[in-house]
Order: sequence, then structure tokens, then C-alpha cells
Amino acid sequence: MGQLRPGHLVEAAMWLGLCLFLFIYSFEFNQGIEIYKFGATAWPRAIILLMAIAALGQLYHHWKLGDQATSQIISAAVDDGAEEAAHEAHHEGLKWYASTLGLLIIPFAYMRVPDWITALVSAEGTSVHVIRIICAAILIGIFIYTMRRNITGAMLTLPLFFAAMLEDMGFYSLAPFFIIGVMFMFGERRAKPMVLIAALIFGLLMLLFVKILYVGLPVGNIHPFYDIGSWAVTILQ
Amino acid sequence: MDAFNNFVTGSISLFSDPLGILIFFGGVIGGMLFGAIPGVSMLTLAAILLPFTAHLSPVHGIMLFSVIYCTGVYGGAITAILFNIPGAPENAPTAFDGYPMTQKGQAGKAVGAAVMCSALGGVTSTIIMMAATAPIADWAISAFGPPEIFALVFFGLAVAASVGAKTFWKGWLSILIGLMVAVVGLDPVGGIERYDFDMPYLLAGIHFIPTILGFFAVSEIFVQAEKKVKGAYKAPKISIAFPTLGELIAHKFAIVRSIVIGFFCGILPGIGATLAAFMGYNEAVRWSKTPKEFGKGKLEGVISSETANNAATGAAMIPLLALGLPGGALTAMMVGVFQMHDMEPGPLVFINSGDLVWVVFAAMFYANVSILLIGWLETKTIINLLRIPFQFLAPMILLLATVGAYAVRGLTIDVIVMFLAGVVGFFLRRSGYSVAGIVLGLILGKIGEQTFAQAMQMLHFEWSGFFDRPIALGLLVVGVLTLMGSIYGEFFKKKPPTAETPVS
Repeated sequence: MGQLRPGHLVEAAMWLGLCLFLFIYSFEFNQGIEIYKFGATAWPRAIILLMAIAALGQLYHHWKLGDQATSQIISAAVDDGAEEAAHEAHHEGLKWYASTLGLLIIPFAYMRVPDWITALVSAEGTSVHVIRIICAAILIGIFIYTMRRNITGAMLTLPLFFAAMLEDMGFYSLAPFFIIGVMFMFGERRAKPMVLIAALIFGLLMLLFVKILYVGLPVGNIHPFYDIGSWAVTILQ
Repeated sequence: MDAFNNFVTGSISLFSDPLGILIFFGGVIGGMLFGAIPGVSMLTLAAILLPFTAHLSPVHGIMLFSVIYCTGVYGGAITAILFNIPGAPENAPTAFDGYPMTQKGQAGKAVGAAVMCSALGGVTSTIIMMAATAPIADWAISAFGPPEIFALVFFGLAVAASVGAKTFWKGWLSILIGLMVAVVGLDPVGGIERYDFDMPYLLAGIHFIPTILGFFAVSEIFVQAEKKVKGAYKAPKISIAFPTLGELIAHKFAIVRSIVIGFFCGILPGIGATLAAFMGYNEAVRWSKTPKEFGKGKLEGVISSETANNAATGAAMIPLLALGLPGGALTAMMVGVFQMHDMEPGPLVFINSGDLVWVVFAAMFYANVSILLIGWLETKTIINLLRIPFQFLAPMILLLATVGAYAVRGLTIDVIVMFLAGVVGFFLRRSGYSVAGIVLGLILGKIGEQTFAQAMQMLHFEWSGFFDRPIALGLLVVGVLTLMGSIYGEFFKKKPPTAETPVS
């Protein structure tokens, strides 16, 4: 096994699995081009081949040298402290990855589940909005309940969840809660500074982007969020 | 003489335009601040600003980025010296001797040396850049066709991959991921849909702005979340005491050596200011008669590191403007600024937008000079700014990134792509991969495939056609040799027992 660890094998398997998936999918667009004899697939397949070789080379490197860097100078120059932070926080075990993956599923669940339910019950009009709000509420509840055990995983999930809800709930309704959420993830627990800073950041952004630069931000498409967003835009502009 | 006249014209254009002056000083101060604040970097600022440059003229957009580049590389030196917290990776070697100098009560001298040597390295590099770029571009116009550009992209990627990440293989995997992301969308010759997964959004390809924002600004916040950076820093009392002329003369060889190292590191793709600083420092130790004094507060350590990292900035602009090849993350973002204005960087920029080039050159020159003037004034401001807890900075950066990603096309899916890129970047960074490599692959991937297709059509699909084109052949050979050298090193070179020991 040399200096191989199970994590190294998982890493290699993920790269090779990705290569296999991309190669198989390349048959979907395997068409000839009259003026270009290599067609549309030659370039991506060459990249996939090189990727597979590099993944095997990386596996060999791990087998021979473990986590050692190629060169001390390069290693020191490219080190941004991310690896050390992960090591010090003990975020390297299977349990942590599983918990993080579980949290990361939440935003994707919001992107899909309401549509499935809507199709299942053949909902229309305002019922669709109600389904989306109920799904959001349930998923927010699950997120808050599970985040306490894995704050870093929650920090990765929160922005994605915010982005997933942006189309429905709008920037104006979500942003203040998002700011408070991020502050909380970074260890802030005092309510008064959190509210004041959130108001300050939100106010500054609104002033700069909506009032001065006229940047159009999503207002949402679900009542009452749409009304709140439209009201904010009217007031600001 | 032409270069001098153009420089004067560029300076007049820069300082006769009120908006230009505002952007110049905004870039100088912003670069210094973001370079100094641990947890964010000049790349974070550049990524946040990238979408908004669409509202600026190309001259202002490129100038802003080049100014941020110059001052951002210097900014982190102050925190490296005063708190042993390098604001950015390129200032890490500065802390090796800068912080021990602070502990010995010589912080003023260390900061003074950083200010002077950053300005000296940057100004020298900018002057060489001004003299060299236009002739190289002139030559490139007649000598470079699609085969040469493809060969140049290949060479650039080969060098960048070999030195960009913790291991050679991870460097390559980072670049290849970027190249693969660039494949998504319509193929450049036949317009065939590739990897669109039946999603209309992916037909136009993954937009580089959300991707860059995610990989740099968002993943940085995630890494900081793991580090749990919080609380205020204890600010020591600080004064600036510039090194005496005698001290500078005593270190003249170190300064010249670091300028040379920095310049060559800057001009080669993928190496840039960070490796320049480490190599400058390393060479200072190697050439010293008293190497054991390094790491204990030796002024030469600060001088070597800070001269080298700023000397890389001007050099990095030469391949970008003369040949259209970005060598690092920030220059890759500059390509993005060009593309947003329907322009391509490269030799033709000198013919089509000569004014732009010389305003940018002048701005870089004055940005380096301003390090000398504003650098010491800003030191105290930076110390006060460091008192802003990161938990208040993080939501602001994330919201700015959100507005930036959304403002490009008005699509919420761009915001999702950005945060997804942030998550992917977070996991890749903690495994030793290079997000800069991914972005370089993404930017160069489209150019590479397009020029490869054009080259093959031009050469009637005969590979031997490359042998009749000496420049293309030379670049391909050097690229292959770089790769072979790295592969040889991986398989046959004896390794030291550990790699975790700090650089000597």
C-alpha cells in the first residue's frame, strides 16, 4: 500500500469516475463537422484522457510519497492555509464529509421537491406558492436543527440555500436574514450588533446598487415576498 | 524615446480625467487594504469588482485591475511585519524576518524597508515592462498565427501546471478541470452542444464571472469559516523609519538579485508574485555569508521578499498585453475585463487601443510610486481596519459577490453557480489543488481550442506543419520539456524525507 490512505483511493476513484462519466456523456454529441475532421469530441476527450493520466499519476505520488509536496518552495508558495485549517478543525473524517453532504442536499432539495409536490397534487396558482413556502419553512427548520453539529458545513450550505430561494423570495426579503446568518456562522452571538450591522450592510448595498447604480435585483415571485421587494424598489428609486 | 513620449501622453490622459483619477486612487487604496486584511486578498477585491467593470470604459477597467495588482502585492507586508499575519501569500516570506524585527523593536525599519523596496521593485519592473512590451507586441503581430498562439497556450499551461499546486499532478488536474469547464456550451467550430445536460443555461457555457467570484471570493470566506477568524488584533505602536542610504547600498546585490528573480518569475506563466517572494527570500539565504541570521530579524529578508514580489507585477503584464497570454489569476481576470468589452488582449491592442495600453502603463508606474507616498500614511489606517471583526466583513463580501454575479445577466442561476464554485473551490483548496490553475484553464481553454482548430485547418490537418513554424515548434518543445522535467522529477528524483519543513 506504500503511503496510501483510504482518502487517497477515494480521491483517485472520484477523478476516474468523473473521467468515465464525461467520456460516456461525450457520445451524446459525437457528431462530425464537415470542415473539421476531429469533430466536436476530440478536444474534450483529449482533456479527459489527460485527466485520467494525471489522476493515476497523483495516485502513484500518494503511494510513493503520501501527502508530501513536489517541491518545498512551491509548496510553501501555494499554501493558503486551507489544508492546515481542515486538519486543525478535524474536518477530515468520513463523518464530517457525510454530515456536510447531508447539509448541502438541503438547497438542492428546495430546487426540486416543491416542483415534485406541485406535479403530484396538480396544484395551480397560489397553491404553488403555498407549497414552496411550506417546503422552504420545513427545510429551514431542518437546516437550523442540523447546523449546530457542523458549523463549517452549514456555512457552505447557507449561501447556496440563499441563492436557491432568491428567485422565489427575492433579494430584498432574504438579504437581511442572510447577513445575520453569516455573522452567526462566524461566531457572533450578540443580537444588537448583529441587527445593527445587518441594517448597515443592507442599507449601504441598497444605497449603492439600487439607488445610485440602478442595478436590478431579484424581487421574488411569491406573495408576500414579491410585494416586499417591489415596495423596496419603489421606495429606493 | 517613443516609449517615453507615450508614457508622458499616458500620464497626461490619466491625470486629466477626473473619473480616471478617482479610479486610480480607489485602486491604490483598495489594493493596499485588501492586500493587508487577512482572510481576503487583492484577488477577492478583483473578483468582486470584475462584473462591475462592464459599466466602466475598457481603459478604466484594465487600469483599475493593474493598480490593484501593484498595491495589493505590497499591502500584506504591513500585517506580515507587525502581526506575523501575511495579508496575502506573496507576503509570507516577509514575515519570516519582518515579525522578529517587530519583536526586537525594529518594526519601523522593517515597514520602511518594505515600503521602499516594494516601490523600487515595482517601479523598475514597470520601466522594463514599458520598454519591452511594445517591441514584443510588434514582433508578435507578424510572427504569431493560430499555431503559435496554440503553442503559447500549451507552453503557458505546462509551466503553470508544473508550479501551480502542491504537486505536479494536482497542478495538472486543476488546469484540466478549468479546460473541461471551458468545453461546456457550443463547440467553437461546428456549434455543436456539448455537456449541456439539456439545460438551456449551459448552452452559452458556464460564465467566467460567477466562476471566478466563486473560486476566489466565496471559497476564501469558506476557508476563513473553517479557520474561525475572529476578534480584534492587538495593534503595536508603529512608526516608519526608512532604511538609511548606507543600508540600502549595503543590500544592493540583494535588491538587484530580487528584481531579476521577481521579473523572471512574473514573466513566466503561473509563477507570479508569490513564488517570486519565496525564491527571492530563498536565494538571499543561499547567497548570504550569515544564513543562520535569517528568520531572526534580518533586514535583508524583508528587502529580498518585498523587492521580488513587486518586481513580478510589471513583468506579468508583458505576456498579457504583448501576446494575450495571462500568466496568473489576476491577469486572467484582466482577460475577462477585455472580453466584457468585446476586446481580446494581445499584440493588436497596441494598434487598436494604444491609448489604453499607455494609460495602464502610466497608472502602474504611479501606483508603485504611490506605495512610497501613501504606503506609510496608510499603515496606521490598516492597523485600525484590522480591528473590524471578520464576522462583519464576511457577509458584506458574500452579498457584494451575489450582486456582482446577478448583475452580469440578471439570472439567479449565476448566483447558484457562483456559490457552487465556492464550495468546489473550498474542497479543492483544502486538498492542495489550485483554484488559480482552474481559472487559468477556464480562460485559456476557449482560446486554446479555437486556435488549435484554426491551426489544424490552416496546416491541412498535417501535424508536421508545426515543424515548419520555428516559433510554434520552439514553444511546443519547451512546453514538452517542462512537462518531461516535472514527470522525471516525480518518478526518478530522490525526495527529501519530509516536505512540511519550512523553506530555509
